[in-house]
Amino acid sequence: MTNKQIVKLEVNGDTHELLVQPTQTLLHVLREQLQLTGTKCGCNNGVCGSCTIIVDGQAVRACLSLAVASSEKEITTIEGLEENGKLQSLQQAFIDKQGLQCGFCTPGMIMSSLALLAKNPSPSIDDIREDLSGNLCRCTGYVKIADAVMSAIEVEQS
Amino acid sequence: MKYIEALSLQEALEILAGDDEARCLAGGATLVAMMNADLIAPSTLISLRRIEELKGISAVDNYIRIGAMNTHSDVANAEQLLSGNAFVIRDAARQIAHPAIRNMGTIGGSICHADPASDFPGSLVAANAELEIIGTDGLRQIPVQDFFVDYLETSLQEGEVLTAILVPTTHSQAHGRHLKFSRTHGDYATVSVSLVLSMQSDVCNYARVAIGSVAPTPLHLDTVDNILTGSKLNDDVLDDAANLLQEACDPIDDVRGSAEYRRKIIPGLLKRAIAEALG
Repeated sequence: MTNKQIVKLEVNGDTHELLVQPTQTLLHVLREQLQLTGTKCGCNNGVCGSCTIIVDGQAVRACLSLAVASSEKEITTIEGLEENGKLQSLQQAFIDKQGLQCGFCTPGMIMSSLALLAKNPSPSIDDIREDLSGNLCRCTGYVKIADAVMSAIEVEQS
Repeated sequence: MKYIEALSLQEALEILAGDDEARCLAGGATLVAMMNADLIAPSTLISLRRIEELKGISAVDNYIRIGAMNTHSDVANAEQLLSGNAFVIRDAARQIAHPAIRNMGTIGGSICHADPASDFPGSLVAANAELEIIGTDGLRQIPVQDFFVDYLETSLQEGEVLTAILVPTTHSQAHGRHLKFSRTHGDYATVSVSLVLSMQSDVCNYARVAIGSVAPTPLHLDTVDNILTGSKLNDDVLDDAANLLQEACDPIDDVRGSAEYRRKIIPGLLKRAIAEALG
């Protein structure tokens, strides 16, 4: 039996004080306690990228982060991108360019792309492919995914 | 399981001394994955994330000191590691897995895990790095090759914590390269070559080569360094070096390649790494 601990998490601008098991991952707590189910659980060992979120401005894997170790950090999930009912430009571009089939990998793809664009606002298509190589899409829709990211950049720059 | 954020090395050492089943948590990229898979169940996790001595990259005496808690991204972007024998470590860091993993995993955590297929061990041997380790008896400093004992096994003793990687600044004009052959982008290496070379006109006057993923620990042979040093690195010399490495290696068959395949990759990868280091 393990001892629950209180952790204060800053998620999408809101503060949550939660009682969690020390072994629980941030992914589990986001999905099961905060009902933020946009972040997906694929492999649960850091390989597939479907749980990618942004913590303190950097892409990380929620499945490899312990919730108790995530206090005093600014956490952004896919649910935090929409503003006043308007989708973030990457989200809109994935829809417009049909950068998804089943959609399971899409939140991770978008969060990884967002972290890339924060570092490098004008990446080449090769930069995008390299940066997204840690996000697996089992529908094999990589061409349209990269196209969607390029399209979001064009929208931002126009 | 208990989770404690140690505020000092002293506190971490005290918890480790009192609990055999306690484990240190660095970036979590491997440890949390192992916990998720029920491969390990520590009684206590001691997070090292608040300990200042484990952070930062700085020049100390004749070394570049890389704190154990630097992430792979920190190392891959470190300006202090742009040249000389230290560059091979930076070159390895940027090739580890993918951006989100590089933002989480730490150099200290990675080498304490001692996976022979990972990128840092060979690069640290090639850079001739030393490790700073703290225990209740104080600090000790050892050559990095004395740290790697066997597959997933190091010479870190119970109750000790790896605090820093020390890179001697003895070969500031040297060229470095970490070249990995892997099945797909971001995978562990099927074989990796890490090397540091210095040239005086067209003669090599310093060489240090380590091969990863072909033995339980990074493969380094003095005989290989010796035949490269003083040579013009022509094909005959490189063939001899590759032969020695092929004879001494002890690869395994696994999903990334058969032992025989790994052995066959060594010569081509070695030659390419040398050409790229000097190119």
